[in-house]
Amino acid sequence: MKHEYKETLLYVENLSVAYDDTIIIKDINLVEKDVIRDGVDSTGQVVAFVGRSGRGKSTFFKALTGLIPTNSGKILIRDFANNEPNAAKSVCEGDIGFVDQKYTLFRHKTVTEALKFSLRKTKLSNTEKDEKIKLYLKEWGLENCKDKYPNELSGGQRQRTAIIEQLFSSDQFIVLDEPFSGLDVGNIEEVKKSFELLGKSSDFNTVIFSTHDIELAIELAQTIYVIGHPTVNGKKENYGTIVAKYDLRDMGLAWKDYCDDHLKLSKEIIHQMMIS
Amino acid sequence: MIKILTPFEKISKQNRTLILLGWLVLLIIIWFATTSGEKHLFPSPAQVLVGFKDLYKEGLVVHIFNSLSLCFISIFLATVISLLFAYAWPIPVLKSISEFVTKFRFLPFTGLSFYITMVVHEARAMQVWILVIFLTTFLTTSLIAVIKDIPQEEFDHAKMLKCTRWEVLLQVIILGRIDYVIDVIRQNLAITWMMLVTVESIVVASGGLGFLIKNSDKFMNTGRIIALQIIILLIGLGLDAGINFLRKALFRYSKI
Repeated sequence: MKHEYKETLLYVENLSVAYDDTIIIKDINLVEKDVIRDGVDSTGQVVAFVGRSGRGKSTFFKALTGLIPTNSGKILIRDFANNEPNAAKSVCEGDIGFVDQKYTLFRHKTVTEALKFSLRKTKLSNTEKDEKIKLYLKEWGLENCKDKYPNELSGGQRQRTAIIEQLFSSDQFIVLDEPFSGLDVGNIEEVKKSFELLGKSSDFNTVIFSTHDIELAIELAQTIYVIGHPTVNGKKENYGTIVAKYDLRDMGLAWKDYCDDHLKLSKEIIHQMMIS
Repeated sequence: MIKILTPFEKISKQNRTLILLGWLVLLIIIWFATTSGEKHLFPSPAQVLVGFKDLYKEGLVVHIFNSLSLCFISIFLATVISLLFAYAWPIPVLKSISEFVTKFRFLPFTGLSFYITMVVHEARAMQVWILVIFLTTFLTTSLIAVIKDIPQEEFDHAKMLKCTRWEVLLQVIILGRIDYVIDVIRQNLAITWMMLVTVESIVVASGGLGFLIKNSDKFMNTGRIIALQIIILLIGLGLDAGINFLRKALFRYSKI
């Protein structure tokens, strides 16, 4: 299927994070652009990060979302409040939504209360907010849980609530740290559906997630980055950085059913992970 | 049979009740058996029953009411003060003060009550403030422990929803843990109840269960002492169950 790259949505340059004297991640560079496909109303961007444990994926995500300060580098995202083409702004805490592995929610707020809270800084009127919440609850299959507290929700329901909450509050960027870890087959399908819904609801929606399941990454993402310890001048370094990038769109593997080529790619990614 | 003697074996609810009843019956038998002779250290059930009757005639209900009202007033005041210290704990400039307050729990009871007697002259107020000061140190310690136990993810989640630092404090700590305050009170109730009886026996002027114990103690009336201990224990257990019920009834999301 023919696709075209438009505006830059996410730009990361020379990003480094260190705790005291220990460098965790260094020199991370990436650019993600809006992609338009022929004959498809909206195509959100899905980006996967894979890599062995302790390579700095979570640190990168926390830096990306502004939860931890960076030592150097810059992170720019598309400024949707500015109508100028390619208008960008530096990331601040809350600009990029973040959903952790536990799908954390406010334990004292019902689903509706939580969603209303996440919309508190928007310019919508109360009626508009109520309508928006109602629409999302219906689309995301959460109508029956609107008055439930997090401890009364299933894993999948919690996850969907957490995603909508971040979507309402952030600027169309969502980072999910290992959203599939510990989920059963049914819940994995629910998360996949959430990704689909996000992609369909806006061209600019950009989902960034990390996973240890390479096949799932290949199935869902259009770009896969491998984070690992690089080898510089024959010496293996102890910090994490992007060691490989696979653009499935350019490789002709995006938006199509799983085939032999996907399997080959999976083997290649695993090899990259093992050597880094 | 082997099952109830094997560690970690699961038994039915009915069997659990039967075991509990069995132990209770055994305890009562031991009580009857060891107190049936002429000389015995522990009072017999009959003496305890007489103790109950005497206490009732001496206005037990009024004394219980006095103790309970002292308990509630002190807990209320101590909770309000402790909450202020606990909520101030995340603020860097006030953190040391909150932590300093928790250290006071190692201070002896008698020394401080001496100073309070010099400042406060009315018996009831004296009891209240001795209890409030001591309770505050324990409650603050427990409340700070609750805050320390909040997972980092909850703070990050609030920050991701564009909460200011004050909103994080309000949403995650104050509103998000309000049910824990009740649980902290429940957990500290045993120590409150114990201190309350002691305070009432030190400052005897305004009655209460501690005053009754002190009186019984004077005349070596062991039947009365045990009767009072049973009453104190039952009220304590009742308060514990009541507070737990209140937490679950008030906060549907509370699953501690």
